[in-house]
Amino acid sequence: MQNHKFILNIRMPVKKIGITALVPPELIFACDASPFDVNNVIPSSRKYPGNKLCAWTAIWKEMLVKRDINVDSLIVVAGGDCHNALVDGQKAAMSGIPTHFFFYPFDGDSGYMESQLHRLSEFLGGIKCPEKFKEIRELKKQGQIIDKKRCCGKLSSGEVFRILISFSDLAGDLTGFSRIISSLEETDIDLRNRIALIGVPPIYHDFHEVAHSLGLHIVFDELPYEFIRHGGTTIQEMAYDYCGYTFARPLEFRIDFLKKELKKRKVDGVIHYTQFACHHVLEDEIMREKLDYPMLTIQGDLPGNTPQQIKLRLEAFREVLDRL
Amino acid sequence: MIGLDVGSTAAKIVWIENGDIKYRITSTHNWKELVTGIDGDNIVSTGYFRNIVPHRASLTELTAAIYGARHYFPDAEVIVDIGGQDTKVVDVRNNNFVINDKCSAGTGAFLEFVANYFRIELHELGSMHAMAGRIPDINNTCGVFALSEMISQLVGGYSKEEVIAGMHYAFARRISYMIPEAQSIVLIGGTVKNEGLVTALKDVLKKEVLIPDEPQIINALGVLKYYS
Repeated sequence: MQNHKFILNIRMPVKKIGITALVPPELIFACDASPFDVNNVIPSSRKYPGNKLCAWTAIWKEMLVKRDINVDSLIVVAGGDCHNALVDGQKAAMSGIPTHFFFYPFDGDSGYMESQLHRLSEFLGGIKCPEKFKEIRELKKQGQIIDKKRCCGKLSSGEVFRILISFSDLAGDLTGFSRIISSLEETDIDLRNRIALIGVPPIYHDFHEVAHSLGLHIVFDELPYEFIRHGGTTIQEMAYDYCGYTFARPLEFRIDFLKKELKKRKVDGVIHYTQFACHHVLEDEIMREKLDYPMLTIQGDLPGNTPQQIKLRLEAFREVLDRL
Repeated sequence: MIGLDVGSTAAKIVWIENGDIKYRITSTHNWKELVTGIDGDNIVSTGYFRNIVPHRASLTELTAAIYGARHYFPDAEVIVDIGGQDTKVVDVRNNNFVINDKCSAGTGAFLEFVANYFRIELHELGSMHAMAGRIPDINNTCGVFALSEMISQLVGGYSKEEVIAGMHYAFARRISYMIPEAQSIVLIGGTVKNEGLVTALKDVLKKEVLIPDEPQIINALGVLKYYS
């Protein structure tokens, strides 16, 4: 009898689920698993992959295959976001990692999105902890608040970026993540040049600090903002909300959204970060045509510190804004 | 006050004396001789090493180029600065700029590489170009592969002068992809002293090409004017 009681109290370890881009973390937590965004380790990884197009996907692929990143299974966002991930995700799958391919609807069809979320839920073993939905909704409200505070110069650009980018997996630990958010200390920052950083996030771990030191204050991080603005407390709600994930939708949809955000945040200039060998590079000319702001395009490749060549461009861009 | 431009291959200093522009140029590793006896508070700097040399204030080469070029050409629309290690194109009209610093093709470093191969001085490339009777096609945009192609053309019967002219055209085509539509462009940077390259650029760009008397000092002049 005593043994039986002991067995009942044992809780299976939470499964660690690798994700390659935005996958509703609400659903992963609700399925009693813990998401782990494989991109978040890359900027400080100092890894130089052997066979690559985009360093982001090549590095997580290599780390997964070599088990430098250990996950119980992997969810690859294939449709409607990163196309290199589709191939590198299959390579990771071939190495023996149970892998699920998740597709966003290009046309925003919430019915299709709902079917994808049901398939994902099945892959994860079904919803077991529905209370997590509301818990994460509250955390995302906190995310919205710190995003607004940064826009008013009350929080540092780099600190907020690191928290917003972590909303993709909420650091795999809701309580710990909540503590990190609460530990932010307010300050007063002179917002002389308000910058929107669009595109994929820079692969350099110190980019926001470097930009700030050169007189450019980032008040909008496009992709991390997607991590805090979508949610839901049921599959249906999530389906309706997540099909507005701009990176998966046609460019016009994304640009319309950007125009509103840039205006709301009163930005002075836009930095379009592009990653070498990423299809998003092709969007640059359209962004330049459609967004009526001074724009600097930069391209990164391998992770590490922000290189001197990029610093020169940032400094020259600051001088451009000073002249206007 | 003096304008100091310490770039990847050359250092330049500019000052104004009785309204005249005065300057001195040396190699980068000798930059200190240019500022001997000058207090850092009297120096405004630009160039790759702008923040390392003594200075009161600094400015990027991209902004300095605008202020320097405008001294000679007030209506400058597009400035092309062909430096030792990179090429920068500044579109003054749209406050836009592009920099090629990922490979040596289309920079002064490539011309040095070619001059070394032919065992000639860098400044001889221009005069040799002028002696070319034909211009062979050199299509490669990669500096290293372009050299292989040049050797093939030499083996195929073209003269050294003709191959150098072909190389200048390949260089000009490479740069032309970076240059936006404009009535005229201003060429600056030490590499522009190569007449062969300028001939090729004029031919490829088919635009009015404007070159200041001393194209190598424009950024040093620009930073001086910016802070004056």
